[in-house]
This record gives sequence, C-alpha cells and structure tokens, in this order.
Amino acid sequence: MGFGDLKSAAGLRVLNDFLADKSYIEGYVPSQADIAVFEAIAGPPPAELFHALRWYNHIKSYEKQKASLPGVKKALGKYGPADVEDTTGGATDSKDDDDIDLFGSDDEEESEEAKKLREERLAQYESKKSKKPAVIAKSSILLDVKPWDDETDMAKLEECVRSIQADGLVWGSSKLVPVGYGIKKLQIQCVVEDDKVGTDMLEERITAFEDYVQSMDVAAFNKI
Amino acid sequence: MAAAVRGAEELELLERLLGLPGGNKYGVQGERKVPVLQSNNGPGLRGLMTIAAHLVRQARKEQLLGSTAEEKAVVQQWLEYRVTRVNGGSSKEDTRTILKDLNMHLEDKVYLAGNIFTLADILMYYGLHHIMVDLTVQEKEKYLNVSRWFNHIQHYPGVRQHLSDVVFIKNRLYTNAH
Repeated sequence: MGFGDLKSAAGLRVLNDFLADKSYIEGYVPSQADIAVFEAIAGPPPAELFHALRWYNHIKSYEKQKASLPGVKKALGKYGPADVEDTTGGATDSKDDDDIDLFGSDDEEESEEAKKLREERLAQYESKKSKKPAVIAKSSILLDVKPWDDETDMAKLEECVRSIQADGLVWGSSKLVPVGYGIKKLQIQCVVEDDKVGTDMLEERITAFEDYVQSMDVAAFNKI
Repeated sequence: MAAAVRGAEELELLERLLGLPGGNKYGVQGERKVPVLQSNNGPGLRGLMTIAAHLVRQARKEQLLGSTAEEKAVVQQWLEYRVTRVNGGSSKEDTRTILKDLNMHLEDKVYLAGNIFTLADILMYYGLHHIMVDLTVQEKEKYLNVSRWFNHIQHYPGVRQHLSDVVFIKNRLYTNAH
C-alpha cells in the first residue's frame, strides 16, 4: 500500500486517482490519516489533479482542529491503494549498516511517540469517563402479594404496600387477580434503582404487614 | 423506478436527523404535492425549503444553513435547485442534466457548500436517493463526483435512516470512460 513518493508527480497522481471516489483517505470522516498524508505533501497539488486538490483544500479547512481529529497516525505506507508498492521506507534495504542503525533508532523514536500518544489518549478517555454521569441502572418489578384469606381487606393491603417508601422506589399500577375460592392477590408494578432498592428489602418490608400479607413473590423482573 | 422520498416523509426524516421530538403534522397541497406544516397557532408553513429551514432553526442547528454569507447563498441556491429541478424533472433527460450539473459542481468540493455539511446536502441526498438507486454501475462511474459525494453523505451519521444503502463499487471498471 501507499502512494509512493508524494513529493513527486507520480505519487500525486496515485493520490489523485485514489481520491476520485473518496472524500477522505480513510472512512467517511476526516481523521489523522488525512493529516498524515496532508503533511507529507509539499503544497497544493496542481489544478489538473482536481481530486487531490479538492481533498487538499478540504483538509486544509480542518487545519485548526487537526489535533482533535480521530484516529492514530500510521506510517504513510499504510494508506492508499493496495496495489501500489510502498516505497516510503524501503529505500534503506540496499544501504550499509549505518543506515540500518539510523533507521532502527528512528523506529524507537516513533514507538516512544506512539506511547506518548497512547498515554494521552488514555488520559483523555479517563477524563471523559469521569465527566460522564454514571448511568443509573433501574429495574421494573412486578410483585404478587397474597393475602391470608378471602376476608382480607385488599384495599387496606394495597394501601399498606404503597405506604412503603424508599429512596429510588416508585410504585406503579396495580390490579387484583383472582386466584380461586374468592381469594384475590394483588399484582403491583414498581420501578426501583438497582443500587438503592433490592427485592429482599421489598419482601421484608411487605411481609412485615403480617396482618394482611401471607406471602410475596416477584412475578417479573426486568432491567430497564 | 424506486419511489421517491417526498414531502412529508422527507421532512420526518429530517426531523429525526435533527433530533427533534417529532409530533409535527405534515400534509400536502395542490397538484405538485407541496408539503405543508400545520401548526396550532397561526397559519401553517408551505413548501419544502421553508419548513426545512424552520426545522433547522427549531433544532438550533443554524450551522446547517451555512456560516458565512457565501455558504448561506450556496445552500439557498442548491435548495432551490432541489425544489425546482430535482422535484420538477422526471424524464431521463432531466435526470441526466441534474447529474451532470452536480458532477461538475462537486468536482472540487466535498460538500455542496464546500467544506461543511449543510441542509443542502441532506435534502439533495433525500431528493436524489431514488435516482441513485436506479443508476447502473457505468452511470455511477460516469458521475463519479456525485457518487463520491452521495456515498459520503449516506455514511454521514443519522442521514440515511431507513433508506436503502446505495452500493458503490470500490474498483473502477471503466477507467478510460472519463
């Protein structure tokens, strides 16, 4: 991959062809890929390479925000059409050891830079995360509350259940469902914040009305 | 020919893209099916451009109408083109002219108004969708600049919604055609 030598006319022509049907080097938003290639070009491409020129002018309009564009810069050879040989780093192959050493140290520098970039990104991510308000996990619970017998005052029972108040607990609609022999159970909906209210606590508080409540079950439990 | 996105549907798409809560009632009026926005207080708004500009202001995204005077003018110009030419023309000849115009305009631009994404891009995308769906591979390549722009806009977050993804081939087949 790569565009070849972007300072030469041939390299620019490859870039021009590459950009004919693309707005950006990678994907559909301006990114560090565009900046990397942009910086590798000496100046605006000639007018006859209008695709490259259009892209150049467009990227130039992002110059002020270029540090904040997404993505991580890669070696120039990683961009561009797949069928063009990467010539940006290959020239050292035929040279002597000194050159290779030089290239090695170059590499190291680059990795340090990458490290710095990574750390910066991590810090950025952390600060972003801490700023974001924690999502409050809520659940919708359907409770079945069963009375002792058919003589239990269901209105009073419901009143008792609804009298339970806790931070993060909201009572919803309710209905009486016949279970047989004239006995009805109370089905009541509530929404709780997971961190603040648990079903154990609900059960404890509801069964505490032992004059009315025989037992309590969780009929349905849904995370919202 | 695929059904065109027109009038009310298009404005609902725009509403969703702008993140407005919705609930506006749209109707159509007259032979040319001009969209109308009914409002509870006062007279309704008539016409695609008028309603679209109203929605953009309502969503407080004025940058979509252009920032500089030139951009604002260009956005207006392309909105007008959209309403008069793209909606008006339906023959093969008209379509060709539209694509040719756009292809020339987009040769040195990434968005219709230059370097920023505007309402003109959104409405032109909705207006051209049914045309682009029916283009052959060769035509898509012939109007390369339009294809590039269209592909770019349909990948712009929130624009395409339920509309079909128009496929553009990555490798050009007819390299000497233009």
